[in-house]
Amino acid sequence: MNEPPRDRHAVDPKLLEILVCPLTKGPLEYDAEKQELISRSAKLAYPIRDGIPIMLPEEARALE
Amino acid sequence: MGENPANRETDFGFRNVPLADKQDLVDDVFRKVARRYDLMNDLMSGGLHRAWKDALVTAINPPRQTRAFRLLDVAGGTGDVAFRVVEAGGSATRATVLDASADMLQVGRERARERGLEDAVSFVEGNAEHLPFADLSYDAVSIAFGMRNVPRIERALGEAFRVLKPLGHFLCLEFSAVDVPGLDRLYDLYSFRIIPALGRAVVGDAEPYRYLVESIRRFPQPETLAAMLHGAGFRRVSHRRMSGGIVALHSGWRL
Repeated sequence: MNEPPRDRHAVDPKLLEILVCPLTKGPLEYDAEKQELISRSAKLAYPIRDGIPIMLPEEARALE
Repeated sequence: MGENPANRETDFGFRNVPLADKQDLVDDVFRKVARRYDLMNDLMSGGLHRAWKDALVTAINPPRQTRAFRLLDVAGGTGDVAFRVVEAGGSATRATVLDASADMLQVGRERARERGLEDAVSFVEGNAEHLPFADLSYDAVSIAFGMRNVPRIERALGEAFRVLKPLGHFLCLEFSAVDVPGLDRLYDLYSFRIIPALGRAVVGDAEPYRYLVESIRRFPQPETLAAMLHGAGFRRVSHRRMSGGIVALHSGWRL
């Protein structure tokens, strides 16, 4: 199977507008290169895999 | 708060398990059944789940015009409800599917692609008790056969209320208690004997379906759930039993 084209894996921009940190309900910054959603208030980076945001603190990367 | 969540227990089927473990146990159930989830629903309910979901979609009532309408379907992994709502609604109807199981979401996303609904339906991995959405974001929030798997129902209801817009509609489709004499005995036999056997035949494992049947019996009665909806802030709370009480459709509004 070939990989589908990259744009199929992009996160829906309308979805990005309403996504917040599940812990603090604070805003998220979208890092398109790393495919992460960064919550400064929770000091966590939530991964995006295959265009699906993984909004679970236990899956997130801790920021210093 | 002051409580230590690790010491608290909740139900997992007929067993009591530490609250913190329920999510892992539920995740394991859905990892096992994801691929054949909708097929099993057809087999177990004799196709009735389609009629129940149709009733849910009718109650969600997406606008047929081009007015924007946004649905959040909690625990909607395979996308079944979201696809129906988007297909029933106008061109500006959108749905977000939230699920705690990556396997269920994977199945949902593949189906969205096959149906050409990728632009209309988005998928997010997350927890019903900690929704990752801003306040006042949705016109409707639905949860079909998912509330049973939520460890703390009150929290999930509070979160649904928070993300709804004023005049937003909350709908919960869930198994209930059969209240027709005669049918209840038959339903017990079917639930505890036939369904786990069907699970073993189709999915290769009876355990997930034993959990399913047990969790149905542990779920709060409609009157108890109605009180919880009230407590979360919902008004005009009502419920409608279907198919002799096998399922109930619970409704509440954010006014």
